[in-house]
Amino acid sequence: MLKAPGAMVQCDDDPEAVYEFLCEKGWSDGLPVIPPTPERVERMLAYCDRDLDKAVVKIPPRFGAATPLRIAANAVMAGCKPEYFPLVLLALETLAEEQYNLYGTQATTHPCTPMLIFNGPIAKEVGLNSGNNVMGNYFRANAAIGRAVRLALVNIGAAIPGTGDMATAGTPAKFTFCVAENEDASPWEPLHVELGLPKEATTVTAIAAEGPHNVNDHESNTPEGILTMIAGTMANTGSNNAYYDGQPVMAFGPEHAQTVASGGMKKADVKQWLWERATIPLSKFSKEGIERRFRRKLADRFAHAPLDTPVHMWGKPEDLIIIVTGGAGKHSQWVPTFGNTRAATRALKRADGELVKSIHELKRG
Amino acid sequence: MAQLTKRGLIAAVVCSDTFMKLGTAQAKVFGVPDLPLLKIQHPLGGLNMDKVIERAGVALPQLIKVVKDKQT
Repeated sequence: MLKAPGAMVQCDDDPEAVYEFLCEKGWSDGLPVIPPTPERVERMLAYCDRDLDKAVVKIPPRFGAATPLRIAANAVMAGCKPEYFPLVLLALETLAEEQYNLYGTQATTHPCTPMLIFNGPIAKEVGLNSGNNVMGNYFRANAAIGRAVRLALVNIGAAIPGTGDMATAGTPAKFTFCVAENEDASPWEPLHVELGLPKEATTVTAIAAEGPHNVNDHESNTPEGILTMIAGTMANTGSNNAYYDGQPVMAFGPEHAQTVASGGMKKADVKQWLWERATIPLSKFSKEGIERRFRRKLADRFAHAPLDTPVHMWGKPEDLIIIVTGGAGKHSQWVPTFGNTRAATRALKRADGELVKSIHELKRG
Repeated sequence: MAQLTKRGLIAAVVCSDTFMKLGTAQAKVFGVPDLPLLKIQHPLGGLNMDKVIERAGVALPQLIKVVKDKQT
Protein backbone atom coordinates (compact mmCIF):
# COMPACT_ATOMS: atom_id res chain seq x y z
CA MET A 1 0.00 0.00 0.00
CA LEU A 2 1.18 3.50 -0.81
CA LYS A 3 2.31 5.71 2.02
CA ALA A 4 1.27 9.28 1.38
CA PRO A 5 -0.48 10.40 4.55
CA GLY A 6 0.30 14.07 3.97
CA ALA A 7 -1.69 14.03 0.78
CA MET A 8 -4.69 12.15 2.17
CA VAL A 9 -8.10 13.71 2.56
CA GLN A 10 -11.33 12.06 3.54
CA CYS A 11 -14.90 12.54 2.42
CA ASP A 12 -18.14 10.62 2.06
CA ASP A 13 -17.70 7.87 -0.55
CA ASP A 14 -21.00 8.58 -2.29
CA PRO A 15 -20.11 9.54 -5.90
CA GLU A 16 -22.07 12.79 -5.77
CA ALA A 17 -20.46 13.72 -2.45
CA VAL A 18 -17.01 13.05 -3.88
CA TYR A 19 -17.83 15.17 -6.91
CA GLU A 20 -19.06 18.03 -4.73
CA PHE A 21 -16.03 17.76 -2.46
CA LEU A 22 -13.50 17.86 -5.28
CA CYS A 23 -15.25 20.72 -7.06
CA GLU A 24 -15.31 22.72 -3.84
CA LYS A 25 -11.60 22.09 -3.42
CA GLY A 26 -10.97 23.14 -7.02
CA TRP A 27 -9.50 19.74 -7.86
CA SER A 28 -11.57 19.02 -10.94
CA ASP A 29 -12.10 20.26 -14.47
CA GLY A 30 -15.76 20.75 -13.65
CA LEU A 31 -16.76 17.23 -14.64
CA PRO A 32 -17.11 14.25 -12.30
CA VAL A 33 -13.91 12.39 -11.55
CA ILE A 34 -12.95 8.98 -10.20
CA PRO A 35 -11.89 9.35 -6.54
CA PRO A 36 -8.12 8.81 -6.35
CA THR A 37 -8.03 6.40 -3.44
CA PRO A 38 -4.65 4.92 -2.45
CA GLU A 39 -5.71 1.56 -3.90
CA ARG A 40 -6.60 3.10 -7.26
CA VAL A 41 -3.45 5.21 -7.38
CA GLU A 42 -1.37 2.14 -6.66
CA ARG A 43 -3.07 0.23 -9.48
CA MET A 44 -2.47 3.20 -11.81
CA LEU A 45 1.26 2.84 -11.19
CA ALA A 46 1.36 -0.76 -12.39
CA TYR A 47 3.08 0.31 -15.62
CA CYS A 48 5.46 2.87 -14.14
CA ASP A 49 9.16 2.02 -13.90
CA ARG A 50 10.18 5.38 -12.39
CA ASP A 51 10.92 6.55 -8.88
CA LEU A 52 7.44 7.36 -7.60
CA ASP A 53 8.55 10.40 -5.60
CA LYS A 54 10.97 11.97 -8.06
CA ALA A 55 9.49 14.83 -10.06
CA VAL A 56 9.52 14.40 -13.83
CA VAL A 57 8.63 18.08 -14.23
CA LYS A 58 7.88 21.08 -12.07
CA ILE A 59 4.70 22.52 -13.44
CA PRO A 60 4.34 26.32 -13.56
CA PRO A 61 3.00 28.71 -12.48
CA ARG A 62 3.18 27.09 -9.01
CA PHE A 63 6.17 24.98 -10.09
CA GLY A 64 4.56 22.08 -8.30
CA ALA A 65 6.59 18.87 -8.30
CA ALA A 66 4.92 16.45 -10.68
CA THR A 67 5.98 13.10 -9.28
CA PRO A 68 4.64 9.86 -10.75
CA LEU A 69 2.63 9.46 -7.54
CA ARG A 70 0.88 12.80 -7.93
CA ILE A 71 0.43 12.36 -11.66
CA ALA A 72 -1.11 8.94 -11.02
CA ALA A 73 -3.72 10.51 -8.74
CA ASN A 74 -4.70 12.82 -11.58
CA ALA A 75 -4.72 9.93 -14.05
CA VAL A 76 -7.13 8.05 -11.79
CA MET A 77 -9.35 11.11 -11.58
CA ALA A 78 -9.33 11.45 -15.37
CA GLY A 79 -10.45 7.86 -15.95
CA CYS A 80 -7.18 6.45 -17.27
CA LYS A 81 -6.41 2.76 -17.47
CA PRO A 82 -3.01 1.89 -15.92
CA GLU A 83 -1.76 1.13 -19.44
CA TYR A 84 -2.28 4.79 -20.37
CA PHE A 85 -0.16 6.07 -17.52
CA PRO A 86 3.26 5.91 -19.23
CA LEU A 87 1.83 8.08 -22.02
CA VAL A 88 0.53 10.64 -19.53
CA LEU A 89 3.95 10.72 -17.90
CA LEU A 90 5.65 11.04 -21.29
CA ALA A 91 3.38 13.91 -22.26
CA LEU A 92 4.19 15.86 -19.10
CA GLU A 93 7.91 15.24 -19.52
CA THR A 94 7.60 16.60 -23.05
CA LEU A 95 5.80 19.73 -21.88
CA ALA A 96 8.81 20.41 -19.68
CA GLU A 97 11.06 20.88 -22.74
CA GLU A 98 12.18 24.51 -22.66
CA GLN A 99 11.12 25.34 -26.18
CA TYR A 100 7.52 24.43 -25.40
CA ASN A 101 7.33 27.38 -22.99
CA LEU A 102 5.04 25.75 -20.44
CA TYR A 103 5.13 28.77 -18.16
CA GLY A 104 3.92 31.12 -20.87
CA THR A 105 1.33 28.74 -22.22
CA GLN A 106 -0.10 28.04 -18.78
CA ALA A 107 -0.56 31.65 -17.73
CA THR A 108 -1.33 33.40 -21.02
CA THR A 109 -4.57 35.10 -21.99
CA HIS A 110 -4.42 33.18 -25.32
CA PRO A 111 -6.63 30.09 -25.66
CA CYS A 112 -3.92 27.47 -25.99
CA THR A 113 -3.63 24.00 -24.53
CA PRO A 114 -1.31 21.05 -25.11
CA MET A 115 -2.26 19.26 -28.32
CA LEU A 116 -0.81 15.78 -27.92
CA ILE A 117 -0.01 13.87 -31.10
CA PHE A 118 0.94 10.24 -30.53
CA ASN A 119 2.79 8.12 -33.06
CA GLY A 120 4.04 4.58 -33.04
CA PRO A 121 2.87 1.11 -32.03
CA ILE A 122 1.83 1.78 -28.44
CA ALA A 123 -0.66 4.43 -29.51
CA LYS A 124 -2.51 1.64 -31.26
CA GLU A 125 -1.84 -0.88 -28.48
CA VAL A 126 -3.56 1.22 -25.81
CA GLY A 127 -6.46 2.11 -28.09
CA LEU A 128 -5.81 5.73 -29.01
CA ASN A 129 -8.21 6.68 -31.76
CA SER A 130 -6.81 7.94 -35.05
CA GLY A 131 -9.96 7.49 -37.12
CA ASN A 132 -13.44 8.98 -37.19
CA ASN A 133 -14.03 11.80 -34.70
CA VAL A 134 -10.36 11.75 -33.72
CA MET A 135 -10.55 15.22 -32.20
CA GLY A 136 -13.97 14.65 -30.69
CA ASN A 137 -15.54 12.64 -27.92
CA TYR A 138 -16.18 8.95 -27.23
CA PHE A 139 -12.77 7.30 -27.16
CA ARG A 140 -11.51 6.60 -23.68
CA ALA A 141 -7.77 6.75 -24.30
CA ASN A 142 -7.95 10.08 -26.13
CA ALA A 143 -10.34 11.52 -23.58
CA ALA A 144 -8.59 10.28 -20.44
CA ILE A 145 -4.93 10.84 -21.39
CA GLY A 146 -5.54 14.44 -22.45
CA ARG A 147 -7.76 15.02 -19.43
CA ALA A 148 -5.15 13.60 -17.05
CA VAL A 149 -2.56 16.02 -18.43
CA ARG A 150 -4.93 18.96 -18.00
CA LEU A 151 -5.84 17.92 -14.45
CA ALA A 152 -2.13 17.71 -13.60
CA LEU A 153 -1.58 21.18 -15.07
CA VAL A 154 -4.35 22.50 -12.82
CA ASN A 155 -3.91 20.45 -9.66
CA ILE A 156 -0.11 20.31 -9.57
CA GLY A 157 0.74 23.43 -11.55
CA ALA A 158 -2.08 25.68 -10.30
CA ALA A 159 -3.28 26.69 -13.76
CA ILE A 160 -6.46 27.93 -12.11
CA PRO A 161 -8.60 30.27 -14.19
CA GLY A 162 -8.28 33.86 -13.07
CA THR A 163 -5.22 33.35 -10.87
CA GLY A 164 -2.78 31.04 -12.66
CA ASP A 165 -4.46 30.54 -16.02
CA MET A 166 -5.34 33.98 -17.31
CA ALA A 167 -7.01 32.82 -20.55
CA THR A 168 -9.53 35.38 -21.70
CA ALA A 169 -11.93 32.74 -23.01
CA GLY A 170 -9.93 29.50 -23.12
CA THR A 171 -10.97 26.69 -25.43
CA PRO A 172 -13.04 23.50 -25.16
CA ALA A 173 -9.80 21.75 -26.15
CA LYS A 174 -8.63 22.33 -22.58
CA PHE A 175 -10.72 19.37 -21.48
CA THR A 176 -8.62 17.13 -23.73
CA PHE A 177 -6.81 17.46 -27.06
CA CYS A 178 -5.14 14.15 -27.68
CA VAL A 179 -4.90 12.35 -31.02
CA ALA A 180 -2.98 9.58 -32.70
CA GLU A 181 -1.75 9.94 -36.25
CA ASN A 182 -3.54 7.65 -38.71
CA GLU A 183 -0.28 6.21 -39.99
CA ASP A 184 -1.96 3.43 -41.96
CA ALA A 185 -4.02 5.91 -43.97
CA SER A 186 -1.23 8.39 -44.61
CA PRO A 187 0.52 8.67 -47.97
CA TRP A 188 3.51 10.20 -46.20
CA GLU A 189 5.96 9.13 -43.52
CA PRO A 190 4.51 9.59 -40.02
CA LEU A 191 5.52 12.60 -37.96
CA HIS A 192 7.99 10.81 -35.70
CA VAL A 193 9.81 9.25 -38.66
CA GLU A 194 9.97 12.65 -40.36
CA LEU A 195 11.61 13.93 -37.17
CA GLY A 196 14.28 11.24 -37.38
CA LEU A 197 12.96 8.73 -34.88
CA PRO A 198 12.59 5.01 -35.66
CA LYS A 199 9.22 3.85 -36.92
CA GLU A 200 9.00 1.38 -34.02
CA ALA A 201 9.33 4.21 -31.48
CA THR A 202 6.24 5.47 -29.71
CA THR A 203 6.33 9.23 -29.41
CA VAL A 204 4.33 12.20 -28.34
CA THR A 205 4.61 15.59 -29.95
CA ALA A 206 3.24 18.41 -27.82
CA ILE A 207 2.06 21.65 -29.37
CA ALA A 208 0.63 24.67 -27.54
CA ALA A 209 -2.42 24.80 -29.75
CA GLU A 210 -5.76 26.45 -30.21
CA GLY A 211 -8.68 24.21 -30.94
CA PRO A 212 -8.93 22.91 -34.51
CA HIS A 213 -10.41 24.95 -37.36
CA ASN A 214 -12.16 22.89 -40.02
CA VAL A 215 -11.34 22.94 -43.75
CA ASN A 216 -14.30 21.65 -45.73
CA ASP A 217 -13.53 20.81 -49.35
CA HIS A 218 -15.83 18.41 -51.15
CA GLU A 219 -15.20 19.86 -54.59
CA SER A 220 -11.48 19.97 -55.26
CA ASN A 221 -9.96 16.86 -56.80
CA THR A 222 -6.45 18.13 -57.42
CA PRO A 223 -3.58 18.81 -55.03
CA GLU A 224 -3.65 22.49 -55.89
CA GLY A 225 -7.40 22.64 -55.31
CA ILE A 226 -7.25 21.13 -51.82
CA LEU A 227 -4.23 23.20 -50.86
CA THR A 228 -5.83 26.41 -52.11
CA MET A 229 -8.75 25.84 -49.76
CA ILE A 230 -6.42 25.05 -46.89
CA ALA A 231 -4.28 28.13 -47.50
CA GLY A 232 -7.40 30.24 -47.43
CA THR A 233 -8.41 28.80 -44.06
CA MET A 234 -4.95 29.35 -42.61
CA ALA A 235 -4.80 33.02 -43.50
CA ASN A 236 -6.57 35.04 -40.84
CA THR A 237 -5.53 38.25 -39.20
CA GLY A 238 -6.39 37.32 -35.61
CA SER A 239 -4.00 34.39 -35.38
CA ASN A 240 -0.90 34.52 -33.17
CA ASN A 241 0.88 32.68 -35.96
CA ALA A 242 0.80 35.83 -38.09
CA TYR A 243 3.15 37.50 -35.60
CA TYR A 244 5.24 34.81 -33.89
CA ASP A 245 7.41 31.92 -34.95
CA GLY A 246 5.28 29.07 -33.67
CA GLN A 247 4.76 25.77 -35.42
CA PRO A 248 1.13 25.40 -36.41
CA VAL A 249 -0.32 22.02 -37.36
CA MET A 250 -2.03 20.96 -40.54
CA ALA A 251 -3.93 17.78 -39.74
CA PHE A 252 -5.00 16.37 -43.07
CA GLY A 253 -7.96 14.08 -43.27
CA PRO A 254 -6.85 10.91 -45.07
CA GLU A 255 -8.90 11.64 -48.18
CA HIS A 256 -7.52 15.14 -48.60
CA ALA A 257 -4.02 13.79 -47.94
CA GLN A 258 -4.39 11.15 -50.65
CA THR A 259 -5.53 13.75 -53.16
CA VAL A 260 -2.65 16.09 -52.29
CA ALA A 261 -0.10 13.26 -52.52
CA SER A 262 -1.56 11.88 -55.75
CA GLY A 263 0.55 14.22 -57.85
CA GLY A 264 3.73 13.22 -56.05
CA MET A 265 3.99 16.03 -53.52
CA LYS A 266 6.06 15.16 -50.45
CA LYS A 267 5.52 16.77 -47.07
CA ALA A 268 8.26 19.30 -47.74
CA ASP A 269 6.59 20.28 -51.02
CA VAL A 270 3.28 20.78 -49.27
CA LYS A 271 4.87 22.94 -46.60
CA GLN A 272 6.57 25.12 -49.18
CA TRP A 273 3.39 25.44 -51.28
CA LEU A 274 1.27 26.42 -48.31
CA TRP A 275 3.86 28.81 -46.84
CA GLU A 276 3.99 30.70 -50.13
CA ARG A 277 0.23 31.00 -50.43
CA ALA A 278 -1.09 31.15 -46.87
CA THR A 279 -0.49 34.87 -46.68
CA ILE A 280 -2.39 38.02 -45.89
CA PRO A 281 -1.55 41.38 -47.46
CA LEU A 282 -0.45 43.85 -44.82
CA SER A 283 -3.38 46.10 -45.77
CA LYS A 284 -5.84 43.57 -44.27
CA PHE A 285 -4.60 44.29 -40.75
CA SER A 286 -5.93 47.24 -38.78
CA LYS A 287 -4.20 50.58 -39.05
CA GLU A 288 -3.18 50.29 -35.39
CA GLY A 289 -1.95 46.73 -35.87
CA ILE A 290 0.19 47.81 -38.79
CA GLU A 291 1.64 50.80 -36.96
CA ARG A 292 2.17 49.27 -33.54
CA ARG A 293 3.05 45.69 -34.31
CA PHE A 294 4.32 45.39 -37.86
CA ARG A 295 6.07 48.73 -38.22
CA ARG A 296 7.65 48.63 -34.73
CA LYS A 297 7.82 45.15 -33.21
CA LEU A 298 8.47 43.46 -36.56
CA ALA A 299 10.43 46.38 -37.97
CA ASP A 300 13.14 44.23 -39.51
CA ARG A 301 10.63 43.01 -42.08
CA PHE A 302 7.85 45.57 -42.10
CA ALA A 303 9.19 48.98 -41.04
CA HIS A 304 8.77 50.38 -44.54
CA ALA A 305 6.96 47.51 -46.24
CA PRO A 306 4.28 48.44 -48.80
CA LEU A 307 0.71 47.58 -47.84
CA ASP A 308 0.54 44.77 -50.39
CA THR A 309 3.45 42.97 -48.68
CA PRO A 310 2.41 39.38 -47.89
CA VAL A 311 2.39 38.38 -44.22
CA HIS A 312 3.15 34.66 -43.95
CA MET A 313 1.21 32.63 -41.43
CA TRP A 314 4.34 31.05 -39.98
CA GLY A 315 8.04 31.81 -40.05
CA LYS A 316 9.72 29.23 -42.24
CA PRO A 317 8.12 26.67 -44.57
CA GLU A 318 9.53 23.71 -42.64
CA ASP A 319 7.98 24.90 -39.40
CA LEU A 320 4.54 23.68 -40.44
CA ILE A 321 3.76 20.36 -38.77
CA ILE A 322 1.87 17.96 -41.02
CA ILE A 323 0.01 14.92 -39.78
CA VAL A 324 -2.72 12.73 -41.22
CA THR A 325 -5.52 11.82 -38.86
CA GLY A 326 -9.23 11.14 -38.81
CA GLY A 327 -11.58 8.92 -40.81
CA ALA A 328 -13.50 9.09 -44.06
CA GLY A 329 -14.66 12.45 -45.35
CA LYS A 330 -13.53 15.58 -47.12
CA HIS A 331 -12.39 17.54 -44.09
CA SER A 332 -9.03 18.55 -42.65
CA GLN A 333 -8.09 20.51 -39.56
CA TRP A 334 -5.96 23.62 -39.26
CA VAL A 335 -4.54 24.05 -35.77
CA PRO A 336 -2.98 27.45 -35.00
CA THR A 337 -0.79 27.83 -31.94
CA PHE A 338 0.22 30.17 -29.15
CA GLY A 339 3.05 31.35 -31.39
CA ASN A 340 5.70 31.94 -28.77
CA THR A 341 6.33 28.22 -28.48
CA ARG A 342 7.98 25.37 -30.32
CA ALA A 343 6.80 21.80 -30.60
CA ALA A 344 8.49 19.18 -28.46
CA THR A 345 8.74 15.47 -29.21
CA ARG A 346 9.82 12.61 -26.98
CA ALA A 347 9.97 8.86 -27.40
CA LEU A 348 8.67 6.44 -24.79
CA LYS A 349 11.67 4.77 -23.17
CA ARG A 350 12.25 2.42 -20.30
CA ALA A 351 14.21 3.60 -17.27
CA ASP A 352 17.30 1.99 -18.88
CA GLY A 353 16.93 4.23 -21.93
CA GLU A 354 15.72 1.59 -24.40
CA LEU A 355 12.69 2.27 -26.59
CA VAL A 356 9.51 0.65 -25.33
CA LYS A 357 8.06 -1.66 -28.00
CA SER A 358 5.04 -2.81 -26.01
CA ILE A 359 3.39 -1.27 -22.98
CA HIS A 360 3.69 -4.63 -21.20
CA GLU A 361 7.46 -4.16 -20.95
CA LEU A 362 6.72 -1.55 -18.29
CA LYS A 363 4.54 -3.79 -16.11
CA ARG A 364 5.87 -3.94 -12.59
CA GLY A 365 6.68 -7.29 -11.07
CA MET B 1 12.82 40.84 -10.78
CA ALA B 2 13.03 38.01 -8.29
CA GLN B 3 16.69 37.53 -9.17
CA LEU B 4 17.42 41.26 -8.86
CA THR B 5 15.69 41.35 -5.48
CA LYS B 6 17.70 38.38 -4.26
CA ARG B 7 20.88 40.19 -5.29
CA GLY B 8 19.94 43.11 -3.09
CA LEU B 9 18.77 45.54 -5.72
CA ILE B 10 15.54 47.45 -5.41
CA ALA B 11 13.10 45.90 -7.85
CA ALA B 12 9.38 46.13 -8.49
CA VAL B 13 6.88 44.81 -11.02
CA VAL B 14 4.19 46.82 -12.74
CA CYS B 15 1.04 44.74 -12.55
CA SER B 16 -2.48 45.47 -13.73
CA ASP B 17 -5.23 44.94 -11.17
CA THR B 18 -6.60 41.88 -12.99
CA PHE B 19 -3.21 40.19 -12.72
CA MET B 20 -2.52 41.02 -9.05
CA LYS B 21 -3.40 37.52 -7.81
CA LEU B 22 -1.06 35.95 -10.35
CA GLY B 23 1.66 38.46 -9.51
CA THR B 24 1.33 37.86 -5.78
CA ALA B 25 1.38 34.09 -6.22
CA GLN B 26 4.39 34.24 -8.53
CA ALA B 27 6.35 36.41 -6.11
CA LYS B 28 5.86 33.71 -3.48
CA VAL B 29 6.78 30.93 -5.94
CA PHE B 30 10.01 32.71 -6.84
CA GLY B 31 10.94 33.21 -3.19
CA VAL B 32 10.38 36.96 -2.94
CA PRO B 33 6.95 37.25 -1.31
CA ASP B 34 7.52 40.92 -0.50
CA LEU B 35 8.33 41.89 -4.08
CA PRO B 36 6.53 45.21 -4.61
CA LEU B 37 3.77 45.11 -7.21
CA LEU B 38 2.96 48.52 -8.67
CA LYS B 39 -0.76 48.29 -9.24
CA ILE B 40 -2.26 49.95 -12.29
CA GLN B 41 -5.62 49.71 -13.98
CA HIS B 42 -6.13 46.88 -16.50
CA PRO B 43 -5.51 46.66 -19.43
CA LEU B 44 -1.91 47.40 -20.20
CA GLY B 45 -2.05 46.29 -23.83
CA GLY B 46 -3.72 48.20 -26.64
CA LEU B 47 -3.52 51.64 -25.01
CA ASN B 48 -2.94 54.96 -26.69
CA MET B 49 -0.16 57.17 -25.37
CA ASP B 50 -2.46 59.25 -23.17
CA LYS B 51 -3.58 56.15 -21.32
CA VAL B 52 -0.01 54.88 -21.02
CA ILE B 53 1.02 58.19 -19.45
CA GLU B 54 -1.98 58.01 -17.14
CA ARG B 55 -0.93 54.57 -15.89
CA ALA B 56 2.67 55.69 -15.53
CA GLY B 57 1.37 58.49 -13.36
CA VAL B 58 -0.27 55.92 -11.10
CA ALA B 59 2.77 53.63 -11.00
CA LEU B 60 5.45 56.25 -10.47
CA PRO B 61 4.46 57.40 -6.95
CA GLN B 62 4.30 53.76 -5.91
CA LEU B 63 7.79 53.23 -7.27
CA ILE B 64 9.12 56.30 -5.47
CA LYS B 65 7.62 55.02 -2.22
CA VAL B 66 9.25 51.61 -2.74
CA VAL B 67 12.64 53.23 -3.26
CA LYS B 68 12.26 55.54 -0.26
CA ASP B 69 11.08 52.71 2.00
CA LYS B 70 13.99 50.53 1.00
CA GLN B 71 16.49 53.29 1.70
CA THR B 72 15.21 54.00 5.20
